[in-house]
Amino acid sequence: MTAVALANLELDLDVFSGPFDLLLTLVLREEVDLLELQLAEVVLAYLDHLEQRGELDLETATEFIVLVAALLELKSRLMLSSEEQELLDIEPEQAAEELLARMLDARRFRAAAAHLGELLDAEHGVRFRIAPPPPNLRRAIVHAADGSHDPQVLGEAIGRMLLMPPAISVRHISTLRITVAERLSHLRELLRRGSFSFDEAVRGADRMTVAVTLFALLELYKRGEAEWEQQESFGEIAIHGRAHEAPAEVLAG
Amino acid sequence: MSEQPELVRTVEALLFLSSDPLSPGELADATEAGEGAVVAALAVLAEEYAPGLRGIRLRELGGGWTLASDPDTEDAARRLFSRPRASTLSPAQAETLAIVAYLQPISRPEITRIRGVSADSASATLLDRGLIEEAGHSQFGAVLYRTTPQFLKLFGLRSLDELPDIARWDPTPEEQAELRERLLRAGEARAS
Repeated sequence: MTAVALANLELDLDVFSGPFDLLLTLVLREEVDLLELQLAEVVLAYLDHLEQRGELDLETATEFIVLVAALLELKSRLMLSSEEQELLDIEPEQAAEELLARMLDARRFRAAAAHLGELLDAEHGVRFRIAPPPPNLRRAIVHAADGSHDPQVLGEAIGRMLLMPPAISVRHISTLRITVAERLSHLRELLRRGSFSFDEAVRGADRMTVAVTLFALLELYKRGEAEWEQQESFGEIAIHGRAHEAPAEVLAG
Repeated sequence: MSEQPELVRTVEALLFLSSDPLSPGELADATEAGEGAVVAALAVLAEEYAPGLRGIRLRELGGGWTLASDPDTEDAARRLFSRPRASTLSPAQAETLAIVAYLQPISRPEITRIRGVSADSASATLLDRGLIEEAGHSQFGAVLYRTTPQFLKLFGLRSLDELPDIARWDPTPEEQAELRERLLRAGEARAS
């Protein structure tokens, strides 16, 4: 099925016309230049093809994506490598000049460093007064600062921060218990009666219930028991059962 | 300018008290004398402290004047204080310091680029020794460095202008040509 579907894809491009798998073969044999091939055209042709068939076969589509992705990678590599070669063509000279400039710089500063070393040597034996400012001119008084090193003082400063506070009782807060199973049976009940909107399903419910109901709805959709659609963002969600499939009461228990 | 013995003595006392170089402006403010008079007083002091007369010298360093010991007294000073004045710089530290001194403010990545090797440990040591300091951030957010007054003081410089022109160490055209030749040869050897 897969092979047939892709082989059926007839292409009519600038550089090639014929079935898609022939194009692949030619590209791989380098008889069609990948650089001249507009891959976007191929993708568009495939989309047209899909539209005509009117149904989407996941496997074929996946295979197509994999093939086109491979072609894209191949093409981008081809484009890159040619650029790299161009760069290499100019580079040795330029790189050498740049390296040279840098080496000259490094050389200058090495010489300057040697000069600084000489200056420092010339100052050998020269000492300066290193006088701390007199105590009355200091911004903080040392003996006052000393006090804080006393473990007793530190301990007091940290105070009761290291004690565990008593646990706070939360007994007065009742826990909401809404289960997906509950909401599932609620939704199935509604489904049995026909279509309904999500708003109807959660009328008067609190936020938690709304959230869990949505969760239950997802579950129903996954199981194929319900279809739902929403025409616009924040619009009404219409839910209806899947007529052709009998609801399976699996999660009811 | 006639010398004022009173002012000379006051300036000498202030220089003795201060551990940082004092500019003529600062001295003038403190003595409430004119800057010209202070400069004259400093000249008198410079004569009195001329090398060979005293154990102390008057030095103009880092944008001001300061008293320093005569290098001849170093041996005795070392015995008294047990520690040499300042250890020498490693080659990496000297190179980093030279780059900062000439190109300040400059960021560490730039220093690294010029040296071709990392300058992290060297610049950390220079920061520790108070020879360089942070001077804001570059437009890319890297910390910029500049030299400190301490640098000028320890290297015997009045100001950064006393550093010789960096062009002084430009390689000769022959040296440049030779370097270029060597580079190109190395490039060809690699390409083939």
